[in-house]
Amino acid sequence: MANLIIKIKKFFAMIGKSIKTFFWNVRRILNNFKKRVGNFLDRHHINPAGKAPGWAKALIYLSPALVVLAVFTFWPIINSFALVVYENYNMTNNTITGYTIFGNFIRVLTDESFIVPASHTGSSAVINTLIIVFISVPISIFLALAISVALNSIKPLKGFFQTIYFLPYVTNTIAIGLVFAYMFKTDGGLVNQFLKIFGVNVTGLSWVESNAVYWRSMFVLIFYSIWSALAFKIMVFLTSIQGIDKQYYQAAAIDATPKGRIFSKITVPLISPMIFYITVTSVIGAFKIYNAIVALFGVAGAPPGVRYNLQSIVMYIYQFIDGSNAGNLSVAAAASLILFAIILVLTIVQMQVSKKRVHY
Amino acid sequence: MDKQLFQKSKKIEKITFIFDLLAIVTYIALFLILFNLLELPPVINGRMNLDILQFMTPTYEFLGSNLDKWQMNSIISILVIFMVVAVPMFVINVKKNNTRTIYEIDSYVATSKFVQAMINVLSFNFISTGLRIYNTFVLIKFVKGYNAKEFFKSIPGAIRAKIAKMKEKKVVIDEENLDSYSASLKKSIRRQTTVHVFRLFGTYLFLVTMALIIIIPFYWMVLTSLKDFTGATTNNPEFFIGISRWNWVNYKVVLTALNFGVYIKNTVIVAVFSTIGTIFTTVLAAYAFARIEFKGREVLFSILIMTMMIPGELYIITNFITVSRNGLGWVGMPTGQNQYFLAMIIPFVTSISYIFFLRQNFKQIPESLYKAARVDGCSDFKYLTRVMVPIASPTIFTITILNVFSSWNAYIWPRIITGVGGVEGQQYWLISNALRDTAFVQESGRVMYNLQIAASALVTVPLLIVFFAFRKYIMNGIGRSGTKG
Amino acid sequence: MELRLENLTKIFTNKNGQETLAVDALDITIESGTLVALLGPSGCGKSTTLFMIAGLVKPTAGKIFFGEDDVTKLAPEKRGIGLVFQNYALYPHMTVFKNILFPLENMDVPRDEAFERVKDMANLVGIGELLDRKPSQLSGGQQQRVAIARALVKKPRVLLLDEPLSNLDARLRLQMREEIKRIQRETGITTVFVTHDQEEAMSISDKMVVLDFGKEQQYDAPQDMYNQPGNLFVAKFLGNPPINSFEANVKNKQLIINGKEFMKVNLPDGEYFVGMRPENFRAKSDGFIVDIKEIFHIGRDTMIHFDFNNTNIRALVDSDSIEEGQNKVGLTIKPDRVYIFDKETGKVLNNG
Repeated sequence: MANLIIKIKKFFAMIGKSIKTFFWNVRRILNNFKKRVGNFLDRHHINPAGKAPGWAKALIYLSPALVVLAVFTFWPIINSFALVVYENYNMTNNTITGYTIFGNFIRVLTDESFIVPASHTGSSAVINTLIIVFISVPISIFLALAISVALNSIKPLKGFFQTIYFLPYVTNTIAIGLVFAYMFKTDGGLVNQFLKIFGVNVTGLSWVESNAVYWRSMFVLIFYSIWSALAFKIMVFLTSIQGIDKQYYQAAAIDATPKGRIFSKITVPLISPMIFYITVTSVIGAFKIYNAIVALFGVAGAPPGVRYNLQSIVMYIYQFIDGSNAGNLSVAAAASLILFAIILVLTIVQMQVSKKRVHY
Repeated sequence: MDKQLFQKSKKIEKITFIFDLLAIVTYIALFLILFNLLELPPVINGRMNLDILQFMTPTYEFLGSNLDKWQMNSIISILVIFMVVAVPMFVINVKKNNTRTIYEIDSYVATSKFVQAMINVLSFNFISTGLRIYNTFVLIKFVKGYNAKEFFKSIPGAIRAKIAKMKEKKVVIDEENLDSYSASLKKSIRRQTTVHVFRLFGTYLFLVTMALIIIIPFYWMVLTSLKDFTGATTNNPEFFIGISRWNWVNYKVVLTALNFGVYIKNTVIVAVFSTIGTIFTTVLAAYAFARIEFKGREVLFSILIMTMMIPGELYIITNFITVSRNGLGWVGMPTGQNQYFLAMIIPFVTSISYIFFLRQNFKQIPESLYKAARVDGCSDFKYLTRVMVPIASPTIFTITILNVFSSWNAYIWPRIITGVGGVEGQQYWLISNALRDTAFVQESGRVMYNLQIAASALVTVPLLIVFFAFRKYIMNGIGRSGTKG
Repeated sequence: MELRLENLTKIFTNKNGQETLAVDALDITIESGTLVALLGPSGCGKSTTLFMIAGLVKPTAGKIFFGEDDVTKLAPEKRGIGLVFQNYALYPHMTVFKNILFPLENMDVPRDEAFERVKDMANLVGIGELLDRKPSQLSGGQQQRVAIARALVKKPRVLLLDEPLSNLDARLRLQMREEIKRIQRETGITTVFVTHDQEEAMSISDKMVVLDFGKEQQYDAPQDMYNQPGNLFVAKFLGNPPINSFEANVKNKQLIINGKEFMKVNLPDGEYFVGMRPENFRAKSDGFIVDIKEIFHIGRDTMIHFDFNNTNIRALVDSDSIEEGQNKVGLTIKPDRVYIFDKETGKVLNNG
């Protein structure tokens, strides 16, 4: 028995060896060939690698990425500026009726339900988006900071909590959005059931269904976007807090600094670059909210049968591209350029503010 | 230290793994067989009659005995619980057995072997139980030097010693006799301890509350997906249900009624090809930015970084034109001439943020390795594949996982491009599109929440499994990079 | 293999167009089979010289010959060199075996022979037991040995070592120094060794080159260089404690120190730099009497401080010859251990 095993082992070792030897020899032949070519080139004083400039070599490595980026990233940026000057661009026939400089922008800006609340819904995409951004971003950043500081201060169960907090990052926004909508159901929803414990009268207390009011639906949306955004922030904050040199804390402890001051005078300043980075990215991210709304309220962006809607700017843009009834893409381009402008202005403002506050 | 005993214990453990694996395979096979037996509601007018789903009371014949619906549910549930316990235990054990050194063996290892043996008993894996208990004694011999017999003999003595220790009264310091300084010191220490305990309690309370808020949706999802229609829509939902009422048939309905197989296949195709493409393009580009000196490198790189700020919606408008009839003609063509997969994959075969992430990683590899390779006659490309890629492999792996995740979660782009294709386009939906745009409704129009949530769970669970398997890679990668996938 | 550098020059140009002369017209011939140390303070161009020999840095002017071959324009892999780096530069993801095998993969060697050579080389440097380990599982000294094995396995014509011992602790450094010397003797390979540590250079090398600001200062056997420094820089650079140097006048062929005649010299009158090594002084009652400022007992020797022409001078003398509390002592020094340098050029005038 043992003999047989040894024999089998030997057999496989032999096969392995011969395969490896084969590859080795292939490489050997290639090396030999390369050497000969090299020697030949040297003899005739040709040195292709030496003469080619660095960018020629770089181009070979960069070209796959650059080709894709050129078509699907750079060209769209240029083309957007072309699109906005078209009048009545028709995508199916590729025709336009003329050119206009500000026409499409004016159309977007005066459009009901972009900035001006539409008469039949009473809500506008920009206002909705701003509400979401300015409520969800500060709360989620503050919560993430609090959680990561708390996580950093404990030892047992740290990895366990870290894993749990990370879960929302790896889930499908649509799938969990459906679960959230289900949890906020009027009858038999988990949230109403929970409120009942505290004696709240939950009959007809709707969140995502036909009797819901604007702020209740907005609450669910903001709650969900905070829930799903926390994971990433906690991870980044925790990593940067763990990167702080322990000596600062030891020095502070010897000086009997209270915990609150340690947090505000050591932890926050030292990770301020990360806080700034997260603020910028999450403001940008929150402006682009789309999936969460679709998951909670469907493509209409509102609970069925209510007067208001929760459309965001991105949702407003997509209604022009939506496959089945592709509309005027020039208007969509104008709207997305406006979105870009808003993001750009906000980023610049944040950068200016951070110059005074962030310690690099 | 007895090296032979250590080797022996390792060998026993290895043999145990064979039986563990056999058990796992059995669980999975049984689960699949039983799951396959589950009876679906009848199809009426080409549509599954979901109304009667919860009122069906089929009986199943399995291994010569008749099982009713509840028994069937219980057996499948138990099998699932076994799998949930046995698979991670197996993986962790194999990993540990390979890496554990002789210095790490202590009595804790022996105890954990015993606990695992007990778990094996509970999951009907008796051979593994026997082997693990035997291994426990080998390890006890290794750690303490006892034989099995001597070990049992030593137990009463140890218990007695423990009791004696507990009985031993604590020495009480007479506080009256302390001088004032010691007394105040003692007081301040006590106060400090109290504050510390309260703070710790507060911290944990906060963390637990937040953790509950994070975890409850997941729990509620799994729970609801197993409930029947009444259970999912009642005004007083239950928070726990017994294993006999775990309706595994819900999943089977979702899988068959929804055509889930097709969408999962589509998603996998898109994920695999876009990931291969992304890795290929980003590794090459990151190498160029990290190692090759050329004019305008910094300029080009900062242009790339700047484009990261532009909202993706701006691209989508033009990209939609690009892939449709007046551009590349991948979508929006007459039925049969569309290339939905190309349209879903090609725009995503590269990513600036991953190039950035990888470049940072490549830059950390010391320059002297490159010089050493040059002296050894290693070409640039070979250096990339033989040295840089293996060293940066954790990062590349993280990128792979994140990219698969983002394909799995892709919603808007597939929706737009399949939207122009009508019915044909629906065949190319990815999983998220299917999830959002298919409704489970009864004849009366009432939403079958339990099925809808089961579909959500089906989409979420694979992600969670991948996450738990590669937790370290993913979490480290995210923390370090600060980039979002 | 003889290694010859002819007028080797390297000028670095930074982004602002500013030029730095890193290596200045080096002319050195390294005989076959010798171990030559390139010695100098940091930033003196010694590593640049080594990398030019390796082919990793292109010289601005000048030529490099391996034997009769002009290799100046040859790519590094075609020169047949082995290079050992300061931080070893082992591939962290490969085992020791694979690390040593890696250079052979790029050559025309049969697999069996390659494996043999790896094993032989590992045994030669004393890591035959560690072939399955990863570099991270090795100590610094072991990593160093792997790096040397990797450099030698392809049978290079020249072995180049770039500060190979500076990352090791003191005890290991001594041991590895001897190891490198042994391996070099056994293989008989021409070796160039870069270091900033003069003691290391003197103990390991057959000959050494002292560089300063890219210029060759002296090229000689270590002991000769120590005893007959060619200029003030070399004299100051070698030796620990460092050489005493001070200004002094020569009047009527007499060296004047502290206003008194110290010794006879065959030089015209004028101001000179004078160098005397602390250990060359001997205490003798009939010697030159000095006022002792301080006495330090350091083990078997005693260090005394005193002034020559208002410059603090240290002398190492026998402990027995000085008593505590003594404030005057007579000192002698051999005439050929007194170095007199030109004040302008720093060249030695009475020696070598």
